[in-house]
Amino acid sequence: MSGGHDDDDAGHGHGNQSRFIQHHYDDAQHQFDSGKFGIWLFLAQEVLFFSALFVAYVLYRVHHPEIYSYAHKWLDVKYGAINTGVLIFSSLTAAWAVRAAQLAQRTLLIACLATTILCACAFLGIKYIEYSHKIHEHILFGHYFDPCISPGGEELLTKNNKCPGTKGSVTWDYVAVNPDNSVGKALEGCFDAAKLDQDLKLSGVQADCQVETVKIEMKGDKEVEVGAPTPITNQCADELLVVLNGNRGMEGTGKELEKEAAPKFPCWRPAYQPAVCPTTTTLDQHTHGVGDKPQVGILVEYGDHEEREDIKVKAKCKDAVPPPPIDPIAKAAEQKKEQLGTKAIHPIHVPTTHEEHEIESLGPPPEHTGMFFTIYFAMTGLHGVHVLVGILVFLWLLVRAIKGHFTPDYFGPVDFAALYWHIVDLIWIFLFPLLYLIH
Amino acid sequence: MADHAEHHDDHDHGDAHGDAHGISHVATIKTLVGTGGTLLFLTVVTVLATKIDFGANINLAIAMVIAVTKATLVVLFFMHLRYDRLFHTVVFVSAICAASLFVGFTLMDSSQYQHTNIWHPSEPPAAPVGPRPTG
Repeated sequence: MSGGHDDDDAGHGHGNQSRFIQHHYDDAQHQFDSGKFGIWLFLAQEVLFFSALFVAYVLYRVHHPEIYSYAHKWLDVKYGAINTGVLIFSSLTAAWAVRAAQLAQRTLLIACLATTILCACAFLGIKYIEYSHKIHEHILFGHYFDPCISPGGEELLTKNNKCPGTKGSVTWDYVAVNPDNSVGKALEGCFDAAKLDQDLKLSGVQADCQVETVKIEMKGDKEVEVGAPTPITNQCADELLVVLNGNRGMEGTGKELEKEAAPKFPCWRPAYQPAVCPTTTTLDQHTHGVGDKPQVGILVEYGDHEEREDIKVKAKCKDAVPPPPIDPIAKAAEQKKEQLGTKAIHPIHVPTTHEEHEIESLGPPPEHTGMFFTIYFAMTGLHGVHVLVGILVFLWLLVRAIKGHFTPDYFGPVDFAALYWHIVDLIWIFLFPLLYLIH
Repeated sequence: MADHAEHHDDHDHGDAHGDAHGISHVATIKTLVGTGGTLLFLTVVTVLATKIDFGANINLAIAMVIAVTKATLVVLFFMHLRYDRLFHTVVFVSAICAASLFVGFTLMDSSQYQHTNIWHPSEPPAAPVGPRPTG
């Protein structure tokens, strides 16, 4: 033993104590107690430190519960739960390390410290998987929040169109109801949500629209449509580009379009953020607003800007189907229920919170959903930094344990680091349900 | 080496400095494993509880009660606070109280902002028309 004190008695004999007992302390007990008091003050500070972030969390959750109940679906409970288990286990090994140090069980101490470090690395590894997935899919904080996938994992087209696999090819087209002749008429711009025959939240925005492209030519300043329109369907991606190439030729561009260059996903997919369409008539000239009715944008995507600069996208939307006739019996039952305040004859299915959330998550996210991820990254990020610091501290302890520095009268560093590690675990115990387990 | 220490392995006096053999309380293996096992069990419980619909507020309350229980177990047994000096408890609980006040006081005025509309740039709020309402 390099320390040479492994066989020391755990008692307080001044002449026979650990060489790490500083001379300005009375004895090992005095040094330990001073250190312990110090670490508890530090832990109290840590609680206050994190409480600022919990205030941000609580305040925002009180004001915008809808954001939390939507956005947490992007988090994977599986990863959160595994990480909770990993941290709890590492807390156990950290606590056990203290016991081993107190009882001079050097081999066990080394094993416990090493296990704690491995668990901490596993925690950060899982965090890396989660973070990189979010970065990849643009599920980020603040205005960087521009997700490429829905909470259910469906691909989305996004505003900024920087998602992997795309070609910078997403364009936003809005289909407007032509107030003069809305049925079966080619539409573009923003269109009236009421004209869609399906629930937007349930079906995505394309509803029952048929989308087609028309080749256009410039005659003077005016665009003139040429030839018959080509429908865009879900399987159009590759085929369409070939058709377009055949139609327009490639002169002047100097480059041949290759089939590989075609987008890998269907060119017609659910729109995602209908909020980009204004609700009033104060639109620019490219859109055709219709009164104050809410309008919805649809997304059409194929090729890139160069490929489609002489192509126009049109959409034909069916008229909204009128609501089904009211069942007189059900209506009477409802009235009866209101009158009597008792259960209706036909029990009416009230969606559970779960069902509401399921439906909700199919629709576009509430505005400022990015704030959830601001808070998520701030809280888990700060916690992750603590884990990283913990790894460094435990590595230092591991080296010292291997050197045999820790003895029953000198194990303060192990105890204090373990206390710090327990606080890190403690904070995660709250972060896990608050971020991942939102109901 | 170190086997001489085994004879006081299982001391659990519940008393900070009653253990004459060491300068601090030594947790028993039973305590450590029991605490760790309970924490893991409660983690499973809290995940499963989320899958049952009790209403959003009750689900949140259940999750928080479980989290506080887990935190208490960690503090009492892993962090030895149960066997530690009372003053350390005072320090730590004071910090928890201060954090609670921080959160609580922030929420006290939250209703003042209920009518703040976060509006989309394409849908600016209408300018107020007419005289300011009185009363």
